[in-house]
Amino acid sequence: MFSRILIANRGEIALRIIRACHEMGIEAVAVYSEADRDASYVKLADGAICIGPAAAAKSYLNIPSIISAAEVADVDAIHPGYGFLAENAHFAEICNECGITFIGPTPAAMRKLGDKVVARKLAQEVRVPVVPGSDGTVANELEAVKLANKMGYPVMIKAAGGGGGCGMRVAHNDISLHKAFGAAKAEAEAAFKNGTLYLEKYLLEPRHVEVQVMADKAGNAVHFYERDCTIQRRHQKLIEESPCPVLDERTREELCKSALRLLKHADYHNAATVEFLLDKDRHFYFIEVNARIQVEHPVTEMVTGEDLIKWQIKIASGLPLDLRQRDIKHCGVAIECRINAEDPDCDFAPCPGKIETFMPPGGPGVRVDTDLCQGAVISPYYDSMIGKVIVHQPTREEAIATMKRALREFRIEPIKTTIPICLKILSHNLYVKNKVDTSFIERHLSNS
Amino acid sequence: MAEKQEKDLQKVKELIELMKANDLIEIEVVDGDSKILLRRPGTVQSQPLVSAAPPVSSAAPVSEDAGLESIKSPIVGTFYQASNPDSAPHVKVGDKVNPDTVVCVVEAMKVMNEIKAEIDGTIVEICCKDGQAIEFGQVLFKVRP
Repeated sequence: MFSRILIANRGEIALRIIRACHEMGIEAVAVYSEADRDASYVKLADGAICIGPAAAAKSYLNIPSIISAAEVADVDAIHPGYGFLAENAHFAEICNECGITFIGPTPAAMRKLGDKVVARKLAQEVRVPVVPGSDGTVANELEAVKLANKMGYPVMIKAAGGGGGCGMRVAHNDISLHKAFGAAKAEAEAAFKNGTLYLEKYLLEPRHVEVQVMADKAGNAVHFYERDCTIQRRHQKLIEESPCPVLDERTREELCKSALRLLKHADYHNAATVEFLLDKDRHFYFIEVNARIQVEHPVTEMVTGEDLIKWQIKIASGLPLDLRQRDIKHCGVAIECRINAEDPDCDFAPCPGKIETFMPPGGPGVRVDTDLCQGAVISPYYDSMIGKVIVHQPTREEAIATMKRALREFRIEPIKTTIPICLKILSHNLYVKNKVDTSFIERHLSNS
Repeated sequence: MAEKQEKDLQKVKELIELMKANDLIEIEVVDGDSKILLRRPGTVQSQPLVSAAPPVSSAAPVSEDAGLESIKSPIVGTFYQASNPDSAPHVKVGDKVNPDTVVCVVEAMKVMNEIKAEIDGTIVEICCKDGQAIEFGQVLFKVRP
């Protein structure tokens, strides 16, 4: 087991990893930029090294600085957290070359799954459904119609030569496809001097469902069930929950097994999340793999009782994942709300500033992951997410009630946060009745 | 005299117990003209290589530093006064420096980085020891402009 780990990250995830280290008797070394000098996570670490000025490029993304820090602190391993260098295969390679264990997958596995086209191909090789599409370009209308009928309508016609909405048409049947094909081709010719088109199935009102997986270096892999992350704003997740409230047991099992098959086929070890889209008919389609621990990992920790960060550390140190799939039980419902320092009245513009009043919620079933405290200064240099509130209760109804109670108790003043919009969502009929899709916020809660 | 000696011994014993209880390596107590400095054999594992406290320079009394500038490290690494063990240090106290004067090296990832003064003045204090771990922004030298 490692005796000392450097955490190449900041804020709430750095604190999360420090906590796991301390429980395992491992010394935690934090790194910080000049902007984070007074951050709580720095004070809670066993050692801390300033790695650069505020700008992320010169600090948290500064590989030489971080590796130097790891060397002077004489650490055994580096945990990259999420974001920053977590999916940087080059960084993982340098760690390995310097004799420091990178807590995550191998650079090769990271590269394979980081390339969307390669990942898609790998998925197809192990019979994991992908968003259906043409194999390359579509030569003419006849071919398009044939393929559309095979895939099922509606379909999206896309220009091979470019994007931005140009040369893109949705067709719901053969007749509209005939019309749309010609129009799309002409538009593509004009915009990109290239009229070649391809086809993709158009998923109507999808839900976003992902599976948490973990594998050790010997190839033993398990899943920790799924998370539903349908509530998103501009493709940024805002509310996550487990289980996915609309899945039947059979689909859940197929979904989770698919995720495991893909992970094993990619020769992967450590934590990963396999993301899918779920259409209205409850068919799932693979979209991508996130080869790291994720922001919303606490949701899974609450419903399974497993500590995912500790597993990451154990696996990286060479210990086996001595869990059998049947030992991992899913219990109750967990919901997470991301608390971002954003002003909902200014189109969610980031809202940096000093926190004068800070009173987090508590009580049964409530977990708060944040490194904020009274007097902390939220700087403008980094992501606006400042914390997460996670609740766990036996039923979804109780979990929603607890989350609403917790968010109402939570005082973070005077900055603006996403707490009010989360409360609106949790009270919205469509959310409560599970009739949401990824466009929910834009369609029902955008400022008028 | 014997009474005083006995009191001193008692004080030392108490300090030793304090050090053990708090796992301290070194303690210095100044009381008027008298000073006691106690040092335990270092148990490396218990001492963090770089502490979580702010850099040393910020704890220095303001009056002593008035009018002095600092040369700070632009990188993380290990401080050395000379480029290799056989060479003389790049600078010593009293040396005049200009912006291009190499004042020390900071080793990072096996590369010996030459650190320039970036300032005109005279070296007043060398703030780090050979082999010391250095963080970004750490004060390396005090210079009188």
